[in-house]
Amino acid sequence: MIKTDLVIIGGGAAGLSAALAASDANLNILIIERELILGGILNQCIHNGFGLHMFKEELTGPEYAMRYIDELQHKNIEVLLGTTVIDITKPDDFMLTVTSEKDGYQHITSRSVIIASGCYERTRGAIQIPGERPKGIMPAGSAQRYLNMDGYLVGKNIFILGSGDIGLIMARRMTLEGAKVLGVAEIMPYSNGLTRNIVQCLDDFDIPLFLSHTITDIKGKDVLEKITIQKVNERFEPIEGTEREFEVDTLLLSIGLIPDVTLFDSLKMEKSDITKSAIVNQHLMSSVDGLFICGNALHVHDLVDWVSEEGEKAGKYAKAYILSDEKQSREHLKVNPGAKIRYVVPQLIDYSHLNEPVTLSFRTTEKMIAGTFKVYQNNQVIMTKKAKYIAPAEMENIILQPDDFISFDPITVILEEAL
Amino acid sequence: MYDYVIIGSGIIGSLIARELSKYEVSVLILDKENDIASHQTTANSAIIHSGHDPKENTLKARLCVAGNRLYDELEKELNIPLLRTGAFVVAHDEEEEKALEELYKRAVNNGVQSIHFISQKEILEAEPLLSSSITKALSLPSTKVTYPWEVAISAVSNAIKNGAEFKRNSHVVSIDKINGTYRIYLENGEPINTRNIINASGVSSDHIASMIEDDFPLKITPRRGEYFVLDRKAKDLFKHVIYPIPSKAGKGVLIVPQVHGNVLLGPTSENIDEKDEASTTLIGMKKIRHDLLSLSNQIPYHMIIRTFAGIRASSTYDDFYIQESKINKGFYHVAGIDSPGLTAAPAIAKYLIEDIIRINAPLKKNFDPMREKPIVFHKLSDDMKIKLIQEKPKYGNLVCKCEKITEQEIIDAIHGPVGNDTVKGIKKRARAGSGLCQGGYCEGQVIKIIARETNQPLSHINYYQKDTPILIKETKIHDKN
Repeated sequence: MIKTDLVIIGGGAAGLSAALAASDANLNILIIERELILGGILNQCIHNGFGLHMFKEELTGPEYAMRYIDELQHKNIEVLLGTTVIDITKPDDFMLTVTSEKDGYQHITSRSVIIASGCYERTRGAIQIPGERPKGIMPAGSAQRYLNMDGYLVGKNIFILGSGDIGLIMARRMTLEGAKVLGVAEIMPYSNGLTRNIVQCLDDFDIPLFLSHTITDIKGKDVLEKITIQKVNERFEPIEGTEREFEVDTLLLSIGLIPDVTLFDSLKMEKSDITKSAIVNQHLMSSVDGLFICGNALHVHDLVDWVSEEGEKAGKYAKAYILSDEKQSREHLKVNPGAKIRYVVPQLIDYSHLNEPVTLSFRTTEKMIAGTFKVYQNNQVIMTKKAKYIAPAEMENIILQPDDFISFDPITVILEEAL
Repeated sequence: MYDYVIIGSGIIGSLIARELSKYEVSVLILDKENDIASHQTTANSAIIHSGHDPKENTLKARLCVAGNRLYDELEKELNIPLLRTGAFVVAHDEEEEKALEELYKRAVNNGVQSIHFISQKEILEAEPLLSSSITKALSLPSTKVTYPWEVAISAVSNAIKNGAEFKRNSHVVSIDKINGTYRIYLENGEPINTRNIINASGVSSDHIASMIEDDFPLKITPRRGEYFVLDRKAKDLFKHVIYPIPSKAGKGVLIVPQVHGNVLLGPTSENIDEKDEASTTLIGMKKIRHDLLSLSNQIPYHMIIRTFAGIRASSTYDDFYIQESKINKGFYHVAGIDSPGLTAAPAIAKYLIEDIIRINAPLKKNFDPMREKPIVFHKLSDDMKIKLIQEKPKYGNLVCKCEKITEQEIIDAIHGPVGNDTVKGIKKRARAGSGLCQGGYCEGQVIKIIARETNQPLSHINYYQKDTPILIKETKIHDKN
């Protein structure tokens, strides 16, 4: 039995910065990583563009991860590699069951846990693309890993469904490796990726983006031979007569990421139907006392810099939780998504411990050139923020100071289009 | 010279092989695919029906009821999973209740036991998510659910243990008759000599028959069924198999709890032209949702992890066609086996061998009916897990986190009695990749484990069929020329 103060599940961007922020000469901190190296998904993201906010530099994914991994060496932080958490319970302290080839089955107790387990890719089954089931259809992130870490191409003639960032990055990456990318179809009338990725990954390579289009048939007995795309109406139903066929051997799916928190069901933490992850307060603590969540395991971020920032916050508050050493009562007010806002994290604000600025991170439901975000409490606007080029693909935030609140009643975030 | 060659390793061929392996005869099973049971057996509702539905005095009725009972025996011997769900056939109004009465009579005549009617109150107590518009149901306690593909592999494994042989990628292209025996030619030109042939080739059974006789009395009319699969977290939302009132088109769209905790929704029923057109369609998937509205309006469609379609080998013949060829002695047809073929399969095997072939070879003295189940690591006790990891450390490496499958289980699947070296073959055997992320996380690791265990380069590891590698080209190797 290993005994520790803080376990961080996942050694990617969120987990690494959480560990560094929590590190303290008096605390035993343990990172558990299922891969044999730290860095998580950053290791397969060999393109640049990481760290513009954190380091004011353009780094590749592995370089960005290395900044944190290097720093880790000087801290009182232990790492278990090739180890998977298979269960967590909380009789009093947290009790984790982990397994690895090297050390077999082990139990670990810990006073606090940070979940930084990232996210997984939505599949063909989840959106029920019709057609046959040949080989050659896979999530874009899997193709990225095969290409960048294992050194193998998965196909020569590629189509991509969904304009998520991984799909866009892979359109460029596959092209550079000699594959032909015939197009990207996006069911929404706008792209779901960052604008810079549309420009640098599609436009620069003359790869067509079919907005308001989806795949309506897949042909191929054993290997993928052909896909059909169709334009969709406002209700996302295919419009007859708009069929277009593409002969491809590979279909990459970039249709969304979902926080990967399935291993933690036994903890019975309260979850949000929208983010598919825990409901947290401004300290990123879930409904389970001492359990913190950050990074893409909490909600999917557009930039790794924000993941690191959130990890740092989780680390800081987990450390404060452990060091405070007393059971605290918490009083929460609700943070609601209002008009044109899909979700807001945190979903709760602990006003009994409201002594620092609170960052609200959120995504919109609509694309617009200019608008104003407003935060309401008791039918009064307590904060406004103007923004330009608003898009669901990009995460927005508002910072509230403790004295911005006028009561302990719920607050609501809304978006108004500028006329 | 074999005594028996069985063409097709689906649930029918595999159970026939196992039944024959009880006797002092030589048996070879051929399958044209890269694995056993790749078609109808792998894509169906997985229900062991009670026998309430087939017309009285047909082979379908008789072998369905008998087969249902034989599964209890197979559970013990072959260690197959059986979920004793029971089933409700539900009615919504007077007309449907009348149809339910007819079904009750038919079930009694077919010899189905313990059937009874239940009230709306009893239905909703047992299945709270069902629609309150349901007025009455026929309860069929003997209805069960299995994992059909595992029945097939366990039967083939046990047949092999008892001396039978299995050959995959063995596409039969012609059959010659030579002095009262047969010579089968495979696509690669290889000849196989045998005294008897059993045609258990599903949708291809009329095609195989046409290789040896002109007036085969039936034609396969393939019928497609589409399905949704809900994630394992849907376990216990529905506890029974739920049938609507059957119609001429079949048993309708059902709700079926599965042995691994998933819930199956489907099938549609549509006649199609091509025997291999196992594709899902927008229309079909819409129909499933539409038809299920009368059963429940609380189905969690957001939990769908997979869709699939299967092709049923329906035929122009009204019943199962299990007969010796009229002109070719020693050539046996087991054709037109659509629903309830899975249920009837163990009884079909016995019926063929005892009543049609009337085998007179002696029984093997050392026949071993038992099949050891591969270890499912996550179901073991902690003590057992620790002990096994000490013996084989690769039980410690979790590969598929959705289904909690370890590296050693994957190795066992590769080298098992009917092992396989493909990604989907491993998924079928060890369940790696069957969960929520559908292999997004573990597929790459599975490819590497297969390559290492079978001494093949990564670019030779197939998805399922021959020549379907996932990693097609290594990028960082320079051409030597």
